[in-house]
Amino acid sequence: MASLVRLTSLCHRGVKPLFFRSALLLRPVVAQKGNEDRIPISAQIHVTPSRYSSGSSAASLHWTGERVLSIVLLGLLPAAYLYPGPVVDYSLAATLTLHGHWGLGQVVTDYVHGDMKIKAANAGLMALSAVTFAGLCYFNYHDVGICKAVAMLWSM
Amino acid sequence: MALLLRSLARQGLSRSCPQSCVLYRHVVPMGTSAKEEMNNFWAKNSRLNRPLSPHITIYRWSVPMMMSVTHRGTGIGLSAGISLFAVGALALPGDFAHYLGLIQSLSLGPAIIASAKFTLAFPLTYHTFNGIRHLFWDMGQGFKMPQVYRSGYIVIVLSLLSSMALAAL
Repeated sequence: MASLVRLTSLCHRGVKPLFFRSALLLRPVVAQKGNEDRIPISAQIHVTPSRYSSGSSAASLHWTGERVLSIVLLGLLPAAYLYPGPVVDYSLAATLTLHGHWGLGQVVTDYVHGDMKIKAANAGLMALSAVTFAGLCYFNYHDVGICKAVAMLWSM
Repeated sequence: MALLLRSLARQGLSRSCPQSCVLYRHVVPMGTSAKEEMNNFWAKNSRLNRPLSPHITIYRWSVPMMMSVTHRGTGIGLSAGISLFAVGALALPGDFAHYLGLIQSLSLGPAIIASAKFTLAFPLTYHTFNGIRHLFWDMGQGFKMPQVYRSGYIVIVLSLLSSMALAAL
């Protein structure tokens, strides 16, 4: 009989994370016969020490960045309606592209496995996002711009 | 069990490093990173040609599950649409007004135009409202199952209503 043990943050280096305390690695703890008298299950816990070699907070910052960007994008939608123009056009181009790039990045992480395939998928994604941003900026500069284009399309 | 450990862990928060705490005397640091473990898992299973366990064909579908899939689907669809638009802007000869004129010359009926607008608006509204639901989850709110279902139905209703309103404009 196995039970999964989860601990919320132990030693969090004196820094309070923005939303959650970091969750430590799960490890199935198997209950064996006679285990209780020797070492209590509560102590047979495999954890990632807080000062582990991969102590980078890059992933955590990326997560926060994704949420901040989502909120920015949310604010741009009424802004596009109320204040259409080049400022909102270029802001939308940047925010939409980055939000999509990070979102598709999560899809790649979820479904693509194997070092070479991951590298290839991310390279392709980077190319796509670059072209997308270039195309949107081109449209904003040489054509009517995103806000006006939506207004024109909807007036049909 | 987990609750007991969580409360014990919380007590240990304010103290110094728990490595010295009695509870963690038998703690063993992990030898591999999460990424390595995941790669090893997939490499081993592909090498042994193991079939994938049935998941979407056998697991009982639920509203939260379908909404999550739809959130991802609409996200991918919206991204694809934006990228197609951007590539078109770079590659195609005429300007935006030119292509709008082409569509105008098709003289499509108002019903078709309204349904086309609905089809464009719905993925955006759904993804936006469900995105807000996700942000509430990110703040730790609304995880109880009744809340998950309630917020889910609210998202669906709001998406449908706002798409219909936009299609009518």
